[in-house]
Amino acid sequence: MLEKSITEIHEALKSGSTTSKELIIESIKKSHEVQDKYNAFVTICDEAKETEVTEELVSGIPFGVKDNYSTKDVLTTGSSNALKNYVPIYTATVVENLFNKGAVMVNKTVLDEFAMGGTGTTGHTGAVLNPWDRTRMCAGSSAGSACAVASGVYPYALGSDTGDSIRKPAAYCGIVGYKPTYGMLSRYGLFPFASSLDHAGVLTRSVEDAAIVVDAMKGIDSNDMTSWDSSEIKLSSSLTDSVQNKKLFYIKELCDINNYTNPSEELKTHLKNFHDTLNLCRDLGMEVCEESVDQKILNAIDSVYTVISCAEATSNLSNLTGIIFGPRSDAQNVQDMMREHRTKGFSPLIKRRLVIGSYVLQSENQDRYFRNAQKLRRLIVNIMKDFFAKYDGLILPVGDGPAPLINDANDKLDLKMSALNSHLDIGNFGGFPSITIPNGFVNGLPVGINITGNCYKDANVLSIAYSLESKMSFKGQIAKERM
Amino acid sequence: MKKFTSEMVDDYAAKLLFSLTAEENKMVLDEFDVVDKNIDIINEIEGLSEIEPMTHTLDDFAFQLRADEATVSIPVQEALRNAAKTEGREIEIPKAVD
Repeated sequence: MLEKSITEIHEALKSGSTTSKELIIESIKKSHEVQDKYNAFVTICDEAKETEVTEELVSGIPFGVKDNYSTKDVLTTGSSNALKNYVPIYTATVVENLFNKGAVMVNKTVLDEFAMGGTGTTGHTGAVLNPWDRTRMCAGSSAGSACAVASGVYPYALGSDTGDSIRKPAAYCGIVGYKPTYGMLSRYGLFPFASSLDHAGVLTRSVEDAAIVVDAMKGIDSNDMTSWDSSEIKLSSSLTDSVQNKKLFYIKELCDINNYTNPSEELKTHLKNFHDTLNLCRDLGMEVCEESVDQKILNAIDSVYTVISCAEATSNLSNLTGIIFGPRSDAQNVQDMMREHRTKGFSPLIKRRLVIGSYVLQSENQDRYFRNAQKLRRLIVNIMKDFFAKYDGLILPVGDGPAPLINDANDKLDLKMSALNSHLDIGNFGGFPSITIPNGFVNGLPVGINITGNCYKDANVLSIAYSLESKMSFKGQIAKERM
Repeated sequence: MKKFTSEMVDDYAAKLLFSLTAEENKMVLDEFDVVDKNIDIINEIEGLSEIEPMTHTLDDFAFQLRADEATVSIPVQEALRNAAKTEGREIEIPKAVD
């Protein structure tokens, strides 16, 4: 039953053919199986209880929460040793909103430490394995959530997305990942990483489920001054497959195989698959055009992201001292206590990002690094907004192929890194609504396609994804481990 | 501008209240080298100096300040719950001033 859509499960609950209690028991049992195989969870809530089934679609249905959302009385670690014993005293607004509608949290999912990685391998409890192939990564940082949804533990799990942390794991696990326009979902209670880039969002197995969950999570929140009133927006009821005359564009420099020196067979297949998907868009009556963006700008996306996110993280993680919360050291003075806590608590990835963030914020360095990154961020966003004046959405392949091997995982910056692997950051730069849906397989592993639109045009973006999803056969798919 | 050196990396780490191994120190410099090279490329982009830095995600961002009214706050004992050592309403730390 948990492999079905939210609407199907809700109908089963209403008809009495299943009960909330049965679903919760089944989901917890499945959680333990998935934990044994793929290491997707920090905590499994064995004591989770059924709820009353109401008219709310999410009532009585289990879901997962990424372990950087505060959950009152439930361990919340950010997948870091620095918070390995932290139990929040309040619950994040978006989680509370789901609780208020009767949804049942059954586990907390593993992430890259403090959501700063992109591999799903840096959490303090170890790497999350891809449910299609255990030698592959899930990507990150919402690795556990993607793994669990793809494995059929429940129909949805919460993720967070600062660069691509919902949308890339969704692609690598063959599911849907959606982050709405910045501020549609409250970030209160979500551990901050880079506040101007952080988005809450969801991983599901269908576009409709993504719309249903975000409808249930959203709402202006007095505890998050960047949230806005979206009460007029009803995402799930706005879904339509009538997308004739919608206009999409893709970026030539990213999608033309001739732009790559010695492309791998995987990249060739991935891009061919992408262009085949564009033809499906055309079959649906959409116009798809090619546009060009300066390669220099595309190549700089990752550095803009790194400079801004590291700078903001340096400030956001300064409260981790091990004194008010987190494991306390036995050192004999406060300075040494904090130093020992942070040295032992942070992984090398976090430390190097904080050092870079601190360096780029120094007054003598700000203009060259931080301000220039902010300027280029605006330039990129302006370019996109000019396109969005002409088009309903940007459509691009996610990454340069299927999930890489875990043994190849690293979160180091690389000059040779293809802009294909970093373009999803654009969605965070501009706060744009952005959704990944599965669009096929390369070497037996899932790959995804991403659609991004202008701010507040979430319903439009979701409808494009919804109609495209209906032309493919990957909606609702559950991972089948490759032998 | 001063080159980012190994000594500077350790100094920044010390100010951030953590220590780095030699390997971690090298990783910082290697990664920073990539950022630095890309910033050089960014600086070649025409007209960048005329652009206003982007500091808020949404163009129409407006502060929605809460009314200045007292609301229910977290009970002190709850707020202390995650601290390893407490005394009464306070968090206990080693003596900081002689």
